[in-house]
Amino acid sequence: MREIVTIQAGGFANFVGSHFWNFQDELLGLAEDPNSDQVFKTQYLNMDVLYRAGETQQGIPTYTPRLVSVDLQGSLGSVSSRGTLYSEMPSGTSNVITWTGNVSTHVSAPHKKNFLHDQEEQKSGIVNGGKGEPCGEIQDRDIVNSLEDGVQYWTDFSKVHFHAQSLYELSGLWVDGQEFDNYGIGRDAFSGCVRGEDMNERLRFFVEECDHIQGIQFIVDDSGGFSGLAADYLENIADEYSNTPVLLYTVRPPSVYANSRSKKQTIFNDLHNAVSFSRLSPLCKLIVPIGLPCLSKSKASAFLQIKDEKTYHCSAAYAAALHSIGLPFRMESLGPTADLRYVSGAIDVNGMVQMLAGQARQNMVAILDAAIPAPPLMSRKQCCYSILGNLHPLTPEVAEDMEDLQAVESVSVHGALGSDGLRAAVGDVRDSVDAAYELSPTRPRFSHLSVALCPLPISLPFPSIFANSVGQHGELLDNPVPGSTSRGSLDVHSIPVAARLRSSTAVLPFLEKRLENLRRFGIQQGAPGVELLKSWGFGKDEVEDMGETLSNMVKTLDPHPYESSDSD
Amino acid sequence: MSLKVLNPNAEVLNKSAALHMNINAAKGLQDVLKTNLGPKGTIKMLVGGAGDIKLTKDGNTLLKEMQIQNPTAIMIARTAVAQDDVSGDGTTSTVIFIGELMKQSERYIDEGMHPRVLVDGFEIAKRATLQFLEKFKTPVVMGDEPDKEILKMVARTTLRTKLYEALADQLTDIVTNAVLCVRKPEEAIDLFMVEIMHMRHKFDVDTRLVEGLVLDHGSRHPDMKRRAENCHVLTCNVSLEYEKSEINAGFFYSDATQREAMVAAERRQVDERVRKIIELKNKVCSGNDDNFVVINQKGIDPPSLDLLAREGIIALRRAKRRNMERLVLACGGEAVNSVDDLTPDCLGWAGLVYEHILGEEKYTFVENVKNPHSCTILIKGPNDHTIAQIKDAVRDGLRAVKNTIEDESVVLGAGAFDVAARQYLMNEVKKTVQGRAQLGVEAFADALLVVPKTLAENSGLDTQDVIIALTGEHDRGNVVGLNQHTGEPIDPQMEGIFDNYSVKRQIINSAPVIASQLLLVDEVIRAGRNMRKPT
Repeated sequence: MREIVTIQAGGFANFVGSHFWNFQDELLGLAEDPNSDQVFKTQYLNMDVLYRAGETQQGIPTYTPRLVSVDLQGSLGSVSSRGTLYSEMPSGTSNVITWTGNVSTHVSAPHKKNFLHDQEEQKSGIVNGGKGEPCGEIQDRDIVNSLEDGVQYWTDFSKVHFHAQSLYELSGLWVDGQEFDNYGIGRDAFSGCVRGEDMNERLRFFVEECDHIQGIQFIVDDSGGFSGLAADYLENIADEYSNTPVLLYTVRPPSVYANSRSKKQTIFNDLHNAVSFSRLSPLCKLIVPIGLPCLSKSKASAFLQIKDEKTYHCSAAYAAALHSIGLPFRMESLGPTADLRYVSGAIDVNGMVQMLAGQARQNMVAILDAAIPAPPLMSRKQCCYSILGNLHPLTPEVAEDMEDLQAVESVSVHGALGSDGLRAAVGDVRDSVDAAYELSPTRPRFSHLSVALCPLPISLPFPSIFANSVGQHGELLDNPVPGSTSRGSLDVHSIPVAARLRSSTAVLPFLEKRLENLRRFGIQQGAPGVELLKSWGFGKDEVEDMGETLSNMVKTLDPHPYESSDSD
Repeated sequence: MSLKVLNPNAEVLNKSAALHMNINAAKGLQDVLKTNLGPKGTIKMLVGGAGDIKLTKDGNTLLKEMQIQNPTAIMIARTAVAQDDVSGDGTTSTVIFIGELMKQSERYIDEGMHPRVLVDGFEIAKRATLQFLEKFKTPVVMGDEPDKEILKMVARTTLRTKLYEALADQLTDIVTNAVLCVRKPEEAIDLFMVEIMHMRHKFDVDTRLVEGLVLDHGSRHPDMKRRAENCHVLTCNVSLEYEKSEINAGFFYSDATQREAMVAAERRQVDERVRKIIELKNKVCSGNDDNFVVINQKGIDPPSLDLLAREGIIALRRAKRRNMERLVLACGGEAVNSVDDLTPDCLGWAGLVYEHILGEEKYTFVENVKNPHSCTILIKGPNDHTIAQIKDAVRDGLRAVKNTIEDESVVLGAGAFDVAARQYLMNEVKKTVQGRAQLGVEAFADALLVVPKTLAENSGLDTQDVIIALTGEHDRGNVVGLNQHTGEPIDPQMEGIFDNYSVKRQIINSAPVIASQLLLVDEVIRAGRNMRKPT
């Protein structure tokens, strides 16, 4: 068994993670639920890859994610950082036994309990997710409405129980305190106090119990101080677990792009982006930048109704894509004789990294594309409407229609529907994708396909982000459902999702922009950002090193000199 | 105003408003922390929005927990936190001293005095106080065998301000012995070599010092022994995990047996390493019933664990990096990075290694070591916030002992120094100062009294009575401190109340600096609002 440990750092990363774990929790629940669809019972996905079994001091067994989540203090809302499973006996907590003198108690106003937890308390007894008995429709609708408007913390819509070691708050850094928005602050935050050491300890706890860890999946919100923090964290990881591949997803909400009004702010943001990307990328094996400036209007959300200003919405879309990408890591790798009815295309993290970043061209930046929901398989004549044709980038600043003969890609499709609206068999999906490759004018040099039968379950805390042309099982309806404009977990129960990681020259504009910004604002004579970089703790040499890193990355993709690349 | 012309959005506080803003902030912060001070202070229980409990009597922790917004208060808090970083204690004292300096200054400034003159007086008084401290301190000769009693007294003084007496006294011995254990002649004391481990279990009084090491993980194989005596300990940083080769070499095989063979060949490398360890074990353990323990910083996979378990070896994987250093200091031997040239000299020794299981948490004790230079303080407590508070106290205690050894001197506590320094300033220094700066010296001298005053206040005593009694004794030439129970003067030396010299010096050094800066502020401008992040 090959374990994966997940790390989430920063606000938006935790939002994405929260959705991600909700999916896993739902899958776990459905697998045990006698009333659920057959596909959920035979998933052939090994949950132990992401989850660990343990027990509390009272001897109650637990099953919790292998997760280290890092965030500012106060970002957990109504959830205690120790989680709910391992909390001590409530009796006697209020007496102070270490002091015989006076005691003064300061109680801050309790956060409003998230109603998912409220509900759970009413149900009581169900420890590990699951749908439980279906509550009244009206009540569910209330919940959906209050989630739409009321989500403030990522814990508000999380229904997962975490291990006591999982949630780490950066002591002394408060959510609404000082600003935590640039690389420099993040670095200080890691080295300050014993935070760095604490975080390493948390990770060690989860790695120690892995018999054979296949990789670390690191989601970071790189729009602020967390990129600096993550860089230092990654450096430690590279030191300590040198042979464990790290898959880094940098995510950011659309709202950060709206932030640059003044020129000064623009320079600040551009420099931060350049610095954080160039510092993070050398510390992992594969980096996947995610986060479109305008997700709601992008092609990727053709069937979605997303409100850009709601992190609750955007993170759900990204989480769905990440879930699909991660599926092949969990597929039971069956022997060659086993039937491929349920899954096919298992690959481990190392294999994925080798495939995308280790081939002749050592490009370690991958583009994430996704189709949420994935369209049904069609007969050949409609191939423009195929799964491949519907994969749209979630990575910003990517060139479209870039012809790249060296491209390598890995596609993961799960729960795809056939043209008749029924669940398509794994073999059919394979054939269909292969056929699409055959027909497409630009074929990648190498492609890998993973297929699973089990679709993405849409459970209650999932936001209402589907367009009204999405049906109950994620099929695309010809006639939009009248009435509501957006459909959520009450109307849609599961969707097929396809996602793709690709290593291609299409990412060049992304890299070039960062290189260009770093040169213009940080390296050139009299560049306006030199002082800023200095305040983040970077000397001239370091900045030049970063420039070097970036230009090397550009060169691996585009061997021609920088000037001549204007032609494409 | 000119600034308004430049930036109409700017907010400006003029002279006296700015000054009063600073003074009020300093006083406010003082009020918050004041009740903490001393063995009769109030412990604070903070309950967060999610119901998390935090217990603290430490100014430093409290400052970190408060979300301070006021810029002046932030400045003061930073100074205080820096104080903690440098000397490990004295946060509360720094804050209340700064507050008192501001409060005393306010009186004079309201009477029309210019802050600059006061600041000059502060400077003179500060220098004089530091000189006085040099005279006043009690030197302690450390040499090779430090005087354990004096170390204990310092530790006790600190700990009793954080924990109830019985527990404080118990921890006094623990921290003193721990520091003496890691102390090496001619070298700076590295407190990281004292591991602080906690168990949520039983009672706070079960906290103890383990001469040796406690690791927070156990072996990962069901057949490995849970308890072993007379152990050879191999500390290593060698991967015993099967890893795919980093280079992009594919497997080329035509049938299943070939593939098996390839995998076996790759696997062999790891097995080879395990075999070398087993060889060493056989060398040292044959013919006696000694045991062998491997503690590895890297991973060990199940097949390797299997091989080791079959030979009766206990193996732990993924040890903390710091523990590798500590293990070597505790058990002897050396940490090896490769198994190529293993000799029995690399091995350490422990009389007893055993595992303790609490729910899913496992602890491995490495005890009865021969000549430990590293040790573990094992904190037990019924719940997290109790453990956290004891941990904070232990850290402070360790720092206090370390400071004493390094300072080679201590200062009489219970407010004795503060009263003595005040009398010195008033009776001798003030006369030598020309002009109005005298008043600055006076303000400084009065501010020094804040520590005994607060101690008295927290004990429910009348501050005036206490100060008069204390200064009276000092004028008669007796160095006395405050008895917290009765309010009578006592001799701190007799009672064994000593403070750290470096802590005191740091407070005297930094507090007036920050107070002076705040006093000299005559305008507060909040401009450039639009440069801030829109909220």
